[in-house]
Amino acid sequence: MKSIIIGGGKVGYNLLKTLKERGYDVTLVERDEDTCRRIADDINTDVICGDGTDIDVLKDAGIKKADIIAAVTGNDEENLVICQIAKKGFNISKSIARINNPKNIATFRALGVDRTVCSTAVITNLIEYEFDRDICKIVQTFDRGTMILVEVQVNENNHWLNSLVKDLNLPGECVLASILRNERVIFPRGDTQILLNDSIHIITNRSTFPEIKKLFHNGGVQYAKQKK
Amino acid sequence: MYIIIVGCGRLGSVLSMELSDAGHNIAVIDSDSKRLEALGNGFNGLSVKGIEYDSNVLREAGISRADYLLSLTSDDNLNIMVSLIAKDCFKVPRVIARVNEPSKKSVYELLFIETINPTELISYIIKSKIEGDRK
Repeated sequence: MKSIIIGGGKVGYNLLKTLKERGYDVTLVERDEDTCRRIADDINTDVICGDGTDIDVLKDAGIKKADIIAAVTGNDEENLVICQIAKKGFNISKSIARINNPKNIATFRALGVDRTVCSTAVITNLIEYEFDRDICKIVQTFDRGTMILVEVQVNENNHWLNSLVKDLNLPGECVLASILRNERVIFPRGDTQILLNDSIHIITNRSTFPEIKKLFHNGGVQYAKQKK
Repeated sequence: MYIIIVGCGRLGSVLSMELSDAGHNIAVIDSDSKRLEALGNGFNGLSVKGIEYDSNVLREAGISRADYLLSLTSDDNLNIMVSLIAKDCFKVPRVIARVNEPSKKSVYELLFIETINPTELISYIIKSKIEGDRK
C-alpha cells in the first residue's frame, strides 16, 4: 500500500515510523530542509523537501499511485488544501486531515473532508476523561463523536441508587442501554432497580453529555448538604 | 454592493478605502488589529478582527448578505480555505481570490475558485511597456 504523509513534525514523524514498521511504502513531504535531513538520516524512506500544497510536489511524491494521503501539518489551512487536491484532483478516497483547532472540525466536514483527527480535541477529551473517571465517563465514541457510549458507576453518593429506571429524570436524547452488575449484563426495563456498584451504560450524543454529567454533579451537592 | 475583503495588507487596505469611497458597503477582516487600525478614521466600513476562516468571524462581517468576497491575504492556503467556505458553505454569489505564488494557480483552478494573479498582471504590463517602447 502506497501512502504519503505531509508534515514531518511530531505527528508526521511518528506516523511515518509506525507505517514503515508495518511494511507500508511511505513517502514523506516536509517543507523545512533541516527537518527533512534529520528524518532522512533516521528512517530509510523517501523524503521530499517541498510545499505539500503544491501539485507538482505531490506528483513527485507519487500521488497518482497513492492509496492513502495523511495531511498532518500544524496548519489547518494547509491540511485542508492538501485533502482537497487529493480528492478533487487525484480522486483519492482515503485522505485524512489532522485538525489543530477544534473549531475547524465542522468547517472541514462542510467542505467534504470527512476523515479528520483533531489532535487538540483528542488530548482534551483524554484529560477530561481522567478528571471525571469516577462519576461518568465516555467509554466509546461512534462516528467521531456524533454518538457516544457513557459509563456511570453507581457508588453510595449517587442519587440514582435504589431508584427504578422508569423514575429517572433523563434528558430526551439518551437511552439506558445496559447495566453491568457482578459481571452479568442486565437489559434494563422500567421496573429494573439500580443497585450499588452497578455500572450503567448510556447511549447519547455529545451535546447531551454535559446534561447527563450535571445530573450527577447536582446529586453530589445534594448529598453534601444532607450530610451537614 | 456588500463586499467583504479578507486581508488588510497593502492591496486589501487600498481596495477597502477606494471601494468604500465609491459608495459600497465594505467589511474588512484581518487577524492583526494593527493593520485594521491603520485604515484610520477615513474608513467608514466595518472592520472585524479575527481568524479569517472562522465562521463566526465571517458571520460577524455579514457574509450571509455579501454580494462579493475578496480573499486578498498573502497566504495562498488561507485564501483557498476562505474562498471555499464563502463559496460552498455561505453561497456568496461571487468569490475572488488573490494568487500569491504563481505555481499555486492550478490549485485554485482545480477547486473552481476565481482568481486574480498580480504577478502575472504586473509582468504582462511590464512586458507590454517594453514592447511598446520598441515600436
